[in-house]
Amino acid sequence: MAQSEEVPSTEGDAEERRLIDRSAAGDQEAFRQLVLRYHRLVINVAFRALGEVALAEDVAQDVFVKVYKALPAYRHDKPFKHWLHRVAANTVTDSLRRRRPVVSLDGLDQPLVSAGSDPQDIAARHDLQRAVRHAIASLPPHYRDTIALQAFGELSYDEIAKALDIPLGTVMSRLNGAKRLLREHLGDLVSPSEEANTA
Amino acid sequence: MLSHATTRDWLIPYADGMLAVDERRRIDGHIAGCASCAGELREVRELNLLLVTLPPAPPVAFAPFWLNLQAVLPQRRLMRMPRIQPYRRLGIAFAMAVTAALVAAGSAFAAPAALPDNPLYPVKQLEEGVRLALAPANERMPIQLQLANERLREAQAMAANHKPLLAENSLRAFRVIVDDAAAALKNPADPKAAKTTKDALHSLHLRLDAVERENANRGDDDQEVKQLVAAANDELDRIEQEDAVAAPPTLVIGEQATPRPTPRPTPRPTPRPSDKDHRD
Repeated sequence: MAQSEEVPSTEGDAEERRLIDRSAAGDQEAFRQLVLRYHRLVINVAFRALGEVALAEDVAQDVFVKVYKALPAYRHDKPFKHWLHRVAANTVTDSLRRRRPVVSLDGLDQPLVSAGSDPQDIAARHDLQRAVRHAIASLPPHYRDTIALQAFGELSYDEIAKALDIPLGTVMSRLNGAKRLLREHLGDLVSPSEEANTA
Repeated sequence: MLSHATTRDWLIPYADGMLAVDERRRIDGHIAGCASCAGELREVRELNLLLVTLPPAPPVAFAPFWLNLQAVLPQRRLMRMPRIQPYRRLGIAFAMAVTAALVAAGSAFAAPAALPDNPLYPVKQLEEGVRLALAPANERMPIQLQLANERLREAQAMAANHKPLLAENSLRAFRVIVDDAAAALKNPADPKAAKTTKDALHSLHLRLDAVERENANRGDDDQEVKQLVAAANDELDRIEQEDAVAAPPTLVIGEQATPRPTPRPTPRPTPRPSDKDHRD
């Protein structure tokens, strides 16, 4: 589930540090290069959470504006990528929470749909994804931010611990709590089909 | 054998592959004989499957994304005039001009020595920016070196005053200046300036050492200051090394000088196209 963390070279670290320091000093060209490195990551997090490209781009912009404003206070005590993930997850879940659910879980009595190309399948899959997103948005903040980093940011337990500055055990317990609540919210959607039970 | 409650507590990290081998074995042992926990594990896996079905974004072009972002980025040094009635503008402008002249006259003397915790410090930054911007290209490097020295003086003073955050800011600004001046420092336009440049870099090293000592002596021992000093020293080393590679060979006088005259180049016939096949 979790993507393996790239191990940047020392030269890459030094270059990134230079870009961060220059951006913090107001150099927009340096900031452009930072955005060039990470815009894909942030848009992906936003898109997984929101499901619309235009909206994901808007939220990704909000993320980078927050980052730009906060950079003078950024201290290099944790990797920039983890810090960025945290800002992205917070901004994205805030945006998701502000948008009221547009799908009723009552209409979703089918378990997980296949990834076929049938228009009905596609529509059902989109509804299902919306239901998952809104179930995440309705979680208490500490659960929501943790599961958002796993589901939208595709971070491992270890990376989540670093991004949130919390012990690994706390990540486990929060994900445990978050997924229990998600299962309650999603009800039948996470009940395996009869075939699966009998298989 | 594990209880139902313990097993259920561990099902989620189990499904995420986060348990150690012996813990997994214990869960496996319980699930093999417990239909209820096995059913719950299937639900956990179904939920994980739902979470990973959230797709990544389709490709997004960077250029328009950046242009839109740039348009909303805050301008850190932007000053805005409030909307004022036109007839009042003249009066306000006059009052501002007089005040500015008085303030400028006073601050022009005080600002160059201002430290980052001084209210006049922004005036100093502005003055420095104007000075650098107006300098001809061939005179920029000495000014940059002077400003770099000044940043280190500030960092040292801030470290001495237990203000590590301000010291860090000065060190970051120092790196920006050195970074801007790096190309000129590596290849000075005037070969005679090479010696001066070397001395200046040495002096900056000494200043950095002084900042680090101050940071350590004052009991703060701020890690970020230490790292910034180390990174700045590395940057200066890189510049010096590349400078040494690019520098012309040193003239040796005395017994160690090479007595041989410069050999004349041996004339060689211009190779014809057919010679190409015989080359290595």
